[in-house]
Amino acid sequence: MLISCNKLKKYIDKSEEIDWLNIWKTFTIRTAEVEEVKEVGKQIDNVVIAKIIKCEKHPDSDHMHILEVECGEANPVQVVCGAPNVRVGLKTAFIKVGGHIDGVEIKSRPLRGIMSNGMCCSKKELGISDEHDGIIELPEDAPVGMNIKKYLPIEDIIVEIDNKSLTNRPDLWGHYGIAREISAITEHELKSLELFNIKNDEKLETLKIKINNPELCYRYTGLKIENIKNNKTPLEMQIFLYYVGMRSISLIVDLTNYIMLELGQPMHAFDGRIVKEIEVGLANDKDTFKTLDNVERNLTKDMLMIKNGKEYFGIAGVMGGLDSEILKDTTSVFLESATFNAGSIRKTAVALGLRTEASARYEKSLDPNMTKTAIERLIYLLQKENKELKISSQLTDVYPNKLDETIIKLHKKVLNRYMGKIMEDSTVKNILEKLGFAVEIEEEYFNVTVPTYRATKDIKIEQDLIEEIARIYGLENFTPKPLKLDLTVKEHETIYNQEYEVKELLATKYDLNEVNSYIWYDTNLLKRLEIEKKGVKLLGKTENNILRDDLSFSLLNIAENNFKNYNKFGIFEIGTIINNNSNKRVLSIILADEEKNIEKTYNKAKEICTYIFKVLKNENIIFKNHINEKEYNNSKLGKIIFIDNNKVGEINVINKKITNKLAKKKVIVCIDIDFDKYVEIEKKEKISEEISKYPMVELDYTIIMPKELKYEDLDEILKNYKSKLIKKYYLIGKYENKYTIRYLIGSDIKTLEQKELQTFKERFIQHIKDNNLLIIE
Amino acid sequence: MEKELEILVEELEKELQNCQKEADLLNVKSSFIGKKSKISQILGSLKEMSVEDKRKYGSIINNTKKKMEEMITNYAENLENQNEVVFDDSVIYDTQIGSLHPVTIVAKEVTECMKKMGFTVVSGPEMETEYYNFEALNIPKDHPARDMQDTYYLDNGMLLRTQTSGNQIHAMEKYGAPLKVCSPGRVFRNEDLDANHENTFFQVEGMVIDKDISIENLLYTMKQILTEVMKCEVNLRLRPGFFPFTEPSYEIDMECTICKGNGCPTCKNSGWIEIVPGGMVHPNVLKAGGINPEEYNGFAFGLGLTRLAMMKYKISDIRILNGGDIRYLKQFNIK
Repeated sequence: MLISCNKLKKYIDKSEEIDWLNIWKTFTIRTAEVEEVKEVGKQIDNVVIAKIIKCEKHPDSDHMHILEVECGEANPVQVVCGAPNVRVGLKTAFIKVGGHIDGVEIKSRPLRGIMSNGMCCSKKELGISDEHDGIIELPEDAPVGMNIKKYLPIEDIIVEIDNKSLTNRPDLWGHYGIAREISAITEHELKSLELFNIKNDEKLETLKIKINNPELCYRYTGLKIENIKNNKTPLEMQIFLYYVGMRSISLIVDLTNYIMLELGQPMHAFDGRIVKEIEVGLANDKDTFKTLDNVERNLTKDMLMIKNGKEYFGIAGVMGGLDSEILKDTTSVFLESATFNAGSIRKTAVALGLRTEASARYEKSLDPNMTKTAIERLIYLLQKENKELKISSQLTDVYPNKLDETIIKLHKKVLNRYMGKIMEDSTVKNILEKLGFAVEIEEEYFNVTVPTYRATKDIKIEQDLIEEIARIYGLENFTPKPLKLDLTVKEHETIYNQEYEVKELLATKYDLNEVNSYIWYDTNLLKRLEIEKKGVKLLGKTENNILRDDLSFSLLNIAENNFKNYNKFGIFEIGTIINNNSNKRVLSIILADEEKNIEKTYNKAKEICTYIFKVLKNENIIFKNHINEKEYNNSKLGKIIFIDNNKVGEINVINKKITNKLAKKKVIVCIDIDFDKYVEIEKKEKISEEISKYPMVELDYTIIMPKELKYEDLDEILKNYKSKLIKKYYLIGKYENKYTIRYLIGSDIKTLEQKELQTFKERFIQHIKDNNLLIIE
Repeated sequence: MEKELEILVEELEKELQNCQKEADLLNVKSSFIGKKSKISQILGSLKEMSVEDKRKYGSIINNTKKKMEEMITNYAENLENQNEVVFDDSVIYDTQIGSLHPVTIVAKEVTECMKKMGFTVVSGPEMETEYYNFEALNIPKDHPARDMQDTYYLDNGMLLRTQTSGNQIHAMEKYGAPLKVCSPGRVFRNEDLDANHENTFFQVEGMVIDKDISIENLLYTMKQILTEVMKCEVNLRLRPGFFPFTEPSYEIDMECTICKGNGCPTCKNSGWIEIVPGGMVHPNVLKAGGINPEEYNGFAFGLGLTRLAMMKYKISDIRILNGGDIRYLKQFNIK
């Protein structure tokens, strides 16, 4: 929102004492964020009011004139001007030789052979409008020779305040509210607004106004006025409107905008000739309505409308209709000043994609007690330009549920607790009163009366008042203070730590890279892979709208992208999937390599799983075969990971068809570990075991397996070979179908003798042979 | 006698030259200085000699034996050295290093620092109910934050959490007061992606509930955390803000560390960087968490982890973070 400091100065007593350029730094930390402070009108100098006293056609041009202007100097000055509206007697702005406009110096120079000593200016050249169709026309009583800056408020400081930081402050959506803040911050008096006191004349008609939905329209105030003969907006107001980002249209329209910019109360003026009876009610579904901007709008039954008779007249709080627009020839106007429900206006504006200055304000919950003031202020300003203005109706005010001032008890104990210090009664009272609150001091609390312009949204409980006190007291006056000492040892949850522990292990021990991905499937990828996923869906979205139920599968597009740069890589994520309508945490690891390395990669996956559980949980996991149901997984490969009889995860290989679509001649192995279960597993505490004092012997055997058998079959056979001497056995190598097994054997009570070793060896070889396998010693 | 000893030494020299293996050396050793060796015999004959001869030859014989022993030991060392494996010791292979996601690293730093301050880390679900994401946080039904444009609503009646603040309620319900928790996590906002906007990013929520908590405590805590995370002394300021779940609410700005508050492009010439929103927990939020606001109060804040990671690592395009491109992610290593 743009704010004109010239306007603010009008509302504040002794405003000249305020540093208007720098006050905004303070405003930022007291009230709301200021985005920009800009000085305007500085780049213009030596412009004075001049009167054209002679006007002749330029002999050598079809549009230029040779003028003589009086500009307060001893002799008239000759100037050549191309504007079409030049005429004798016109008063305008004239820039003298040596003056500047937009940093360019004006010099005497011939124009088509005739000397021109200066320049007459358009509004655009003065920087006060976009109009450039002629030189500015000043009123007849403008004093010749006077510096234009003294006559018109061309020099101003324009401040942009971040709209978002005003979300909770309906009272700050007009200049008067900002002035109230400045007055509180600087401790200057705020002047009251000049109003026209409308006395209701019994003889005048009462306007027909009906509110069908008092929950959506809190108040509707209407007034009919006639005999508006002058519809020209004073220059000063035009400049103000331009500086704060609005276009001047006509006096009556400009005034409704002006009141909105001043008080924050949007107003609407309808052509007085066509208003019959006003009804505020909801639209019918599928009706259409043409707004002021000449766009046909589709209505719904949730949209609040202003109706005239049976016809739609305007979309309440958003925009008026094209048919009720003020026409040039009207001298009669119906003024609307109303308050609507904030949520309803916002929804309508959003649904229509039509956010207007009015709807932006209504969305903030305006004070219904402002409607009458707004009309009285408008009449006051209108009457200045139209002395013969006639009020032709009663001020008709439909206000079903009057909003009264509220009283909040602010306990001193609570205030001091929040502030971290003891606040003086007088300080509290002074701050609140400056902001418009009334304060009575009691023993243990303050009785604070909240003005209605703060009560609609922002100030409801005592903490809201504490916020007011703290900010005006000065947030920079707070000193950081430590919490009181608390030595309780607490750890509510270990999830975060456990996640980090696993991540760190994977990154350091296995050189894997952590990625973050999205919680939904990439629709594009699903399409290309011809995989259909059913799951929880995002509403109102057609792409990327299915929540993932398989973390590793959802990581395939990341894998695909990395194949562009790497033949071999490993990534992982701990993320959420949605399964059976509930959140589940999963650790997924993807190992990608060239197809020829499938065995190595697959075994690596098993090693990683074993390692995680052994190191971090001291648990031995077991791999079991499973029938792979998912269409994108290799149905022959894949393991389920168990701890005892508890399934904690899976290893899968993406099948060839899918893999080939991602990258040619590659293999992708996926590990998914149920992290909710993982977190629940308590780390087994290991108790120290007695270690034998006697040496152990390593014996290696290579066993040749028939092609159709696997290691798991061999393992079954090995398990059946029992001997007290076996400490441990494990696979140390595999070449084709030759498996090398290492046995560690020994005794706890003595060093093994050659004979015992020999017996062990012979029995073992016999056991293998009994199982029809070949053994190489 | 002297001659005889000299010949022995010469012979030994010759034999040692022929030794190639440890076994050869052992043979030579036993034949030249072993029990049955010539020198041992000579030494043995010493005791039959006259006192005069003993004096004359004793030390010569002993010295010769010592010399021979030294020769063998030296040669043995030579032989060991010769058998050492020889290789190219200048080879360097590429070191494979994994990586943690930059957000994980920053989250760890922040939570680690908060743990030192006595906070515990808690979690909450990413798919959340409207109640925990909005209602319990004092965000009424018609609040703009509830709009479809900002929130991902789901066809099962739930939504993807738009903030980690819902974890405030979960924590209060589970653990009650007093409470000192932080909660890092992923949040979702319905936004179009560009270099500065993501629909999926990380925050860390912080919350303290106790008796007699002041705005000054909030300021102190934030200063501690940010000083630790930014690894330099930071200056903070409070600015009025508006969030439904805190009252009073503040935008906490950090004095720009690049220009020291003088104004530069990073802080858009204001000298301050908006870093963390926070405030005093709204009494309605305490009530929703089952805590009596008459007895307890507290503060809460939500720090943008994704933005912090971008600041820390000078990442200019936010999309890198969820893109999964190892070439980028590898740069951040582990710590």
